[in-house]
Amino acid sequence: MPPFFKYKKQKVHTDQSKDTQDSANHHVPEPIESSLSANLDSIKQKTGHSSDIIVRTIITGNTSLHKASVVYVAGLVDTQAINEFLIEPLQTNHDLLEKLYQQDGLDKVTKEFITLGSVHPVTNWDELFLSLMSGDTIILIDGSNKAWSASSKGGERRSIQEPSTQVSVRGSKESFTESIGTNIAMVRRIINNPDLWIETMKIGKVTRTDVSIMYINGIAKTEVVDEVRKRLKRINIDSILESGYIEQLIEDQTITPFPTIFTTERPDITAGNLLEGRVAIFVNGSPDALLAPALFIGFFQAVEDYYSRYDIATATRFIRVLAFFISLIGPAAYIAITTFHQEMIPTQLLIIVAAQRDSVPFPAFVEAIIMEIAFEILREAGIRMPKVIGSTISIVGALVIGQGAIQAGIVSPATVIVVAITAIANFATPSYTVAISARLIRFLFMIIAAVFGFYGIILGFIMLLVHLVSLRSFGVPYMTPLAPFIPKNLGDTIIRTPLWAEKIRPRLISSTDNPVRAGEDQKPAPPQKRGMKKKNTR
Amino acid sequence: MKRKWFFLFLILTSTSLISGCWNARELPDLAIVSALGIDKNEDGKYVGTFQIINPSYVTGGLQGGGGGQGPPVTVYSSTGDNIYELTRRLSTKSSRTLYYAHTNLLVISEDLAKKDGITNILDAFERDYEFRTTAMIVIAHRSKAEDIIKTLTPLDKVSAVKVIKTLKNAESLLGEEPTVTLQEVIRYLVSPGKEPLISGITLIGKKKNANKVANTQESSTPQARLESDGIAVFKDGKLVDWLHGKTARGTAWVLNRIKSTIVNISWEREKPAIEYTVMRQKTKVSAHTKKGQPQISIHIHAEGDIGEVSVPVNLNDPHVLRKIEIEVAKTIKKDVNDAIHRAQENKTDILGFGEAFHRSDPKEWNKLKTNWNDVTFPKLEVNVTVEAFVRRSGLRNKSYLSELKNKR
Repeated sequence: MPPFFKYKKQKVHTDQSKDTQDSANHHVPEPIESSLSANLDSIKQKTGHSSDIIVRTIITGNTSLHKASVVYVAGLVDTQAINEFLIEPLQTNHDLLEKLYQQDGLDKVTKEFITLGSVHPVTNWDELFLSLMSGDTIILIDGSNKAWSASSKGGERRSIQEPSTQVSVRGSKESFTESIGTNIAMVRRIINNPDLWIETMKIGKVTRTDVSIMYINGIAKTEVVDEVRKRLKRINIDSILESGYIEQLIEDQTITPFPTIFTTERPDITAGNLLEGRVAIFVNGSPDALLAPALFIGFFQAVEDYYSRYDIATATRFIRVLAFFISLIGPAAYIAITTFHQEMIPTQLLIIVAAQRDSVPFPAFVEAIIMEIAFEILREAGIRMPKVIGSTISIVGALVIGQGAIQAGIVSPATVIVVAITAIANFATPSYTVAISARLIRFLFMIIAAVFGFYGIILGFIMLLVHLVSLRSFGVPYMTPLAPFIPKNLGDTIIRTPLWAEKIRPRLISSTDNPVRAGEDQKPAPPQKRGMKKKNTR
Repeated sequence: MKRKWFFLFLILTSTSLISGCWNARELPDLAIVSALGIDKNEDGKYVGTFQIINPSYVTGGLQGGGGGQGPPVTVYSSTGDNIYELTRRLSTKSSRTLYYAHTNLLVISEDLAKKDGITNILDAFERDYEFRTTAMIVIAHRSKAEDIIKTLTPLDKVSAVKVIKTLKNAESLLGEEPTVTLQEVIRYLVSPGKEPLISGITLIGKKKNANKVANTQESSTPQARLESDGIAVFKDGKLVDWLHGKTARGTAWVLNRIKSTIVNISWEREKPAIEYTVMRQKTKVSAHTKKGQPQISIHIHAEGDIGEVSVPVNLNDPHVLRKIEIEVAKTIKKDVNDAIHRAQENKTDILGFGEAFHRSDPKEWNKLKTNWNDVTFPKLEVNVTVEAFVRRSGLRNKSYLSELKNKR
């Protein structure tokens, strides 16, 4: 690299890191004052008199009147709970505030009167705003330099709905929502075990988004958990709007079309992966949980594989892997055959293809590229289009591109068939993320096939394979258990062995101390002795 | 890092250099040759006839493919001193590059095979990287190769396909004409203990109409049609004799090339009375030397069903079945013996007895091989044993004919 750029890049880099370090080191949180009015003033001032910050001041007491304020953000809180369990007891119990002034008064009050879930003291402004903005209610008392934060998260949220991208015929119909609490609870409902550990942190300088990592203590590898924690702590960015932000900031390899972190919107997939020793990362506001470390073969494992019997599951998984290959090299193989290897197909088929291609003005490659790009445009438009006019897409797509192009003699029917099969095969991949990467690589394969034929396709495959085995996901080789070859873990790859035969967890992913997942002799069998048979007593 | 990129670059560039001999060719630039005929004209030059598939007319009413009515094949011909010249000379006539990878039929005219032999012309086909050595080779019997190539046929629109299918069909159902590929012919030509056989094809009917589209458009038998016709026997690369019918089948028996065939036997002086269908067979040819004289013994084991009876016969009776089996064995033995005599008369070892000797006694073979075809083979003593077995008798044991007999 020329020294000019090197210098420039380094400079920018150091400046940035210096800035952030400075701000992180020199920030000392301001303590809360004891005057209520002063406190309220500074809240108003710091929030810019935002109208959704609700301040409710209560004056109560038997002997002397005391002032207390309840501060919360409208919409983020469960208003009914605040009214019933916080404001009402404060107003009706006249000796409450008096007790507040006693030694450990607040402790007593919270224990005796405030019936809301969790209450904890806050002493500085940073903590105060953090809990206020995440939906807690702050209780400020005149004359006290401690505030109390009562958990009152609530407000309108999307309810739990059916999964939209990872659909299954059999199995739970729940999918994650935007609320991190709900999401974590959904997983907890599946894994009722105290070993399911959760660590929460705030990431994003401005958004201060809740990010939780979840793992099963004893099953997850500590090295992986530490690595995930380390990478999350490293993040220094102003906003985390979706789990995709986290994914892009913590992945091992950035120059690859393949995802090295698995995303899911299903609690059962998350639970299953946690039980294999993976770490789940939840981000508030995102209905997609991240699972790491991800393996390449994991993107072909649909959740239904585990719910249906192993023979069916193996067959469908084989179809899926096949579909992935078709979606990779479908058009490329067509181009290679029609421009290089005409001898490879039966004479009759060649005649049919030749008859179609006779009137087409473009070479096979151009033709295939035209159709592929047309299809990609169609697909992209279909996603972004308002739902109301969605049906227009299918009409335009089917009539203009399908019928019209063939009748006009611009493309041959064989090309349309190949492109259509490829497109359908692409949708057979259960993971959308890896399906997109296949889309991308397909174009490379088409180009290499147009230049070198099948020879090029094989070269491309070799390069792809080299790239795949070079990938790591949180230190775990991407192609595990195929490369490195782990025979004991092959049961859940291209084939799926019966559940009773899968006795150990994935070796490189889960903790090595606790590899056994099923006991001996799990294979079900008919009873040894039937009621009808005489017992052999001798 | 620099090293890594350098190696990547090296690999990428070197791969584009080691890719061998190929080129990108679009389908509309190719003329798919389905069959190739070789004749020799009066000037002693080779005449090549190339049957080129016309894809749009083969597939018929295809959307966007043109469709319409026209001949499914186009025929070009050219002359030259050797085979390779023929294909290059044709470029003056054809707008598309000739493509031989789908050429499955090579027709050689009888005249050429008789006078000059086939030895000189096969090298070009074997050498060419496009031409398949698995292509079937046939001799145009009583006609020119050109006529065979030019003929238009119904059903299978490309006549090359029709010829190949007909020959294969005849081979598997009747067993009279073993088909051979180019590579087999070349192998037999060079093998000292075996001479090649090539099946024949002939054009019958009004030859003038053979290349008209109208020829394919009649529901009755086409005015000119292609039929399989015997097997050509070669000696030293030259055609010496034609085998037909039972002699041809006897040859196929010895060559272990019978897949299925029919054997007609007589029963109580009526002929033909019972029709025996061979379903499986196994022929073993073994060579040995007895008192210094080379000998061949052939053992044929045939297994089959009763296909038809035209005399009242009780197939429930094991004795009857045994008798049928003996009759069948006799008939087969006769065919085989006839075929062997014919081959010995022709002084050409098409039956591969020499190979059998070579395998069983290479030392002895070294002494025999020099005069094999002309001296030893014609005088060779051959013992044929045939064992036939009736496996099934179809859906009926007793023919209704026996009931008819009782009624009278």
